[in-house]
Amino acid sequence: MLEIKNLHARVADEGTEILRGVNLTIEAGEVAAIMGPNGSGKSTLSYILAGREDYEVTEGDILYNGESVLEMDPAERAAAGLFLAFQYPLEIPGVATMTFLKTALNAQRKARGEAELTTPDFMRKVKASAEELKIAPDMLKRPLNVGFSGGEKKRAEILQMALLEPKLCIMDETDSGLDIDALKIVSDGVNALRSEERAFLVITHYQRLLDYIVPDTVHVLYKGRIIKTGDKNLALQLENEGYAQIVDEAA
Amino acid sequence: MSVVTELKTRTPAETQLLQLAEARGENENARRPAIEALRRDGLPTRKVEAWHYTDLRALVGRRIKDDAAVASLKAGDDAILEPLLANSVVICLDDPVSAHLPDGVMATSSSSVADWQASPNHLDRSIDTIRALSAAFGASSAKIAVSSKTSVDTPIELRPAAGSDSHFYAQVSVGEGASATFVERLEGDGSPAPSTGVSTLTIADRANVLWIVDQEKGAEASHLGQLNVTIGADAVFRLFVLNAGGGLVRYEVHAETVGEGADVQIRGANLLKDGQHVDVTTTLNHRVPNTTATETFRNVVTGGHGVFQGMIKVAKGAQKTDAKMACNSLLLSDEGDFSAKPELEIFADDVQCGHGATAGEIDADHLFYLMSRGIPEATARALLVKAFLGEVVEELEDEAIVEALEARIDTWLDTHA
Amino acid sequence: MRKRHPVPGLLIPVSMETDMPAVQETIDRVRKIDVDQYKYGFETLIEMDVAPKGLNEDIIRLISTKKNEPQWMLDWRLKAFERWKTMESPDWARLDYPPIDFQDIHYYAAPKSMSGPASLDEVDPEILRTYEKLGIPLKEQEILAGVRKADEPSEFDDNSDTPPAEGSYSGRVAVDAVFDSVSVATTFKKELQKAGVIFMPISEAIREHPELVQKYLGSVVPISDNFFATMNSAVFTDGSFVYVPKGVRCPMELSTYFRINERNTGQFERTLIIADEGSYVSYLEGCTAPQRDENQLHAAVVELVALGDAEIKYSTVQNWYPGDKDGKGGIYNFVTKRGDCRGANSRISWTQVETGSAITWKYPSCILRGDNSRGEFYSIAVSNGRQQIDSGTKMIHLGKNTSSRIISKGISAGNSSNTYRGQVSAHRKASNARNFTQCDSLLIGEECGAHTVPYIESKNATAQFEHEATTSKISEDQLFYCMQRGIPEEEAVALIVNGFVKDVIQQLPMEFAVEAQKLIGISLEGSVG
Repeated sequence: MLEIKNLHARVADEGTEILRGVNLTIEAGEVAAIMGPNGSGKSTLSYILAGREDYEVTEGDILYNGESVLEMDPAERAAAGLFLAFQYPLEIPGVATMTFLKTALNAQRKARGEAELTTPDFMRKVKASAEELKIAPDMLKRPLNVGFSGGEKKRAEILQMALLEPKLCIMDETDSGLDIDALKIVSDGVNALRSEERAFLVITHYQRLLDYIVPDTVHVLYKGRIIKTGDKNLALQLENEGYAQIVDEAA
Repeated sequence: MSVVTELKTRTPAETQLLQLAEARGENENARRPAIEALRRDGLPTRKVEAWHYTDLRALVGRRIKDDAAVASLKAGDDAILEPLLANSVVICLDDPVSAHLPDGVMATSSSSVADWQASPNHLDRSIDTIRALSAAFGASSAKIAVSSKTSVDTPIELRPAAGSDSHFYAQVSVGEGASATFVERLEGDGSPAPSTGVSTLTIADRANVLWIVDQEKGAEASHLGQLNVTIGADAVFRLFVLNAGGGLVRYEVHAETVGEGADVQIRGANLLKDGQHVDVTTTLNHRVPNTTATETFRNVVTGGHGVFQGMIKVAKGAQKTDAKMACNSLLLSDEGDFSAKPELEIFADDVQCGHGATAGEIDADHLFYLMSRGIPEATARALLVKAFLGEVVEELEDEAIVEALEARIDTWLDTHA
Repeated sequence: MRKRHPVPGLLIPVSMETDMPAVQETIDRVRKIDVDQYKYGFETLIEMDVAPKGLNEDIIRLISTKKNEPQWMLDWRLKAFERWKTMESPDWARLDYPPIDFQDIHYYAAPKSMSGPASLDEVDPEILRTYEKLGIPLKEQEILAGVRKADEPSEFDDNSDTPPAEGSYSGRVAVDAVFDSVSVATTFKKELQKAGVIFMPISEAIREHPELVQKYLGSVVPISDNFFATMNSAVFTDGSFVYVPKGVRCPMELSTYFRINERNTGQFERTLIIADEGSYVSYLEGCTAPQRDENQLHAAVVELVALGDAEIKYSTVQNWYPGDKDGKGGIYNFVTKRGDCRGANSRISWTQVETGSAITWKYPSCILRGDNSRGEFYSIAVSNGRQQIDSGTKMIHLGKNTSSRIISKGISAGNSSNTYRGQVSAHRKASNARNFTQCDSLLIGEECGAHTVPYIESKNATAQFEHEATTSKISEDQLFYCMQRGIPEEEAVALIVNGFVKDVIQQLPMEFAVEAQKLIGISLEGSVG
């Protein structure tokens, strides 16, 4: 589904190279975890996949279902089924969450040549997803993410994921700032979305999240490269030994 | 419709000011063009936007009614003052060379007059009023320089000439990486005809300057002051303005960032009582990217007219400017009023700029809280007023300076509030 | 977000250029207004009765004669003219335009087929077609501006935090249509009469209700108020008159639709609205003009009088022709709007959406004279291309316990200049006056300017004023977030901007709210991309 080939990227303004040849393949139905110490390029990778302009790809390619996405803008990538759950979801004052969700959903449907959802159908859909994620209807009336707690923001991200039904979900440190109860709710939400057709790229610092969202593969990103790949046991190993050992091995 | 520009009739006060300027005698050549400009344009009225709340023509006119007022110009009576900050070195601006200065500090006298035709401040006329007056009167002129990489620990107090018809023009430069503290001390009974004080302060890259204005002139005094500052790359300019006296006072600050990373911090307290007209007008001109500024004035009004005009300007291309301005006024009596005009003028899109202004009385909830703890109303009020002012003073952090300024403020509050 | 079908009504569409590189930099997103797309720039070809150019006593006498005015009205006009001759055009606003030659303007122009208001059957079919084209059907069964029908759903419906402003939505709107210098039709007059509401062209009111006009005309904006208001007092041609009697809640929205058509003609309308004790009225105003190379002058005066416990809600969607991308042509809009909260507990609220005009000089104000009275000003000012806006409000607190609220949202794009200028003052006797001002500017692109000039004047210790102003741009982060969810960039910008202006949009009557949101989106179209 996703094939990252020798990806090099740098910060567009200043030219600092962050990714230095990332190779990674994720199949449909797979849950891949990316772990790595601070500054290894994890968040950058997620932004580049989603099409953020602050970074410049200098070499390599990103193939999504066999086609390069590099020339696509973020909205086109989203319509193609790519979803990024942000580490820090943005607040947009004045824009009601409901309005935002409906706008996004219908824009994607339109881009794919599908009919727009009617308001009642849309409301039903949101209500069902919101209940599962324990999101109060009040929250949906508030401006998008404005005044939401950290946990509420993360739940709202998963709600958006459930509604938009993407094919490839990239989750950037979704566990950060969550207490254990919220982590459980969020993980349940994610697990409910796991299917044969859908792939996940879970970026995290800690093994804890992977107890709840069990990955098929684990990759260690260090200084802009994948230096080790394994199964879920690799995450446990990292938890016990830290990154030092693996970094030394790779060096 | 054709607009006919009429020649303004000169007020008696304007005529007398011109006569005074003519009578000064020395340095005639330098002063002449400024005198003629004043003769042509007169003093600004409130129709000149920069003087919207301070109708100088009317206010000066009201103070100089007759020859007696002008005559009193000669009757100066300045007492010998302790410096505001202990261990300061004092530079008399009419005789700068005689001061015993710390290493790395130079003071010389000069014959130049204020550059009254260069870039008048925002919305003023084609001439800058305060600088033009200063030039017309031929201010005593001093140059003070702090060498680069010199850290001057001794505060430098700048004093206008003794005698109440004082006009000074100080050109101060602080070299690269140097640091210094200046106190502009405006004291004395003064006279109804305005004294002027114009300073230029050039802060080189990475230098750090604290400038304190302590204006506690007598109730009859009129004073027009102006501080023009340029701030270099990664340099810090901190300013504190205390207005706790004077009859008619206007103090202008025009700060300009000329190097990236420059930081401006302006704080001030204006204390007003009956019979006063005190105006603080500032412009913060962000000319280069990545500069920051904060500005806060706190005003306590028991009477009189208070004015704050603050302008944040961001030039085209001065991206990532972060500038915040606040003006908070406590009105303790219906006898006084306060007018604020905080302005933004923005020509760059990637900036964070804002201003806030409040006016009101002492917060009733705060007062109630203190009184519910057994503090009598008068004490509680005094406490809250002091706290209101203390917040801006304490931001100076240096303990000795904070104490010195708070002492001045307390003296005023004990007498007038 | 919204369908981009051409919406009739009050819009400025702008074209999309296609040759811009798809770079994210804001500067590259700035595109020029292409006014060929201004949908309301057409001209109605109709035989007109046009007075000779120039402003003089003869023209004033001519206007007065054309309107069959009584002598007192003519005297009033001449007095204003005498005064005007001694005045100078104000220059304190942040506006840059060449001097206006006031003698090179026609001060009166009316369709030949009619010299004054007529019943619908008598209106020239060409004029009816004009209003149809503008989306203003002058038929009583339809609502204003071609916006949705009363039962048509909108995005507001699923949005429970945006209820229609209270009491504002009746589904029906009475329209007074002013074409150049005359009112061509007023709808629902009879039905309004049943409720006792007088709604008619002011030219008619001068003849039919002289006692009301004489009592209130010039009582809020005096003859000598300012250069443009004084000129208007001398030469005003038409406008609307509203009187809502004691205790009456006006049964429908009232609206006036202004159209400038004739070349080299100024429009000088005068609107006078009086809400007697305990009454309520909501009034809407819309405007468009043909696209021409020369500038045209619009100098209106609006006076509102709210007596005890009365409430007036005045909404404007201003969409005069803004000029082309080089700043050629467009309306010069110098307007004096003022409301007098004359009685205790009265309330006046101004809401404006400004997207048009080459020059806007306009400060809808409230004089809070009555104790406990309240004034509100909600404004969205969008400037693009070479437009210049200097607009804001004045809240003059005179009575006790008066309160005011100002929410101003300025959006600048292109090469435009957008200034908020507002005054809040508390008189010495205005104890417990309260004001809250929020003044936000949004810049799109590096070639525009956004300025904020508030004047805050307190003479009363118990008055409490709070003022806040911010300037910012649409953050790249917000834009990216929206796009990541599949919302195309231009829609994302419109969504964020509509969020930015939401506080104001909420104040508009429902019909205008939907319209205004679309209008703002379309005004900024081409400023991003």
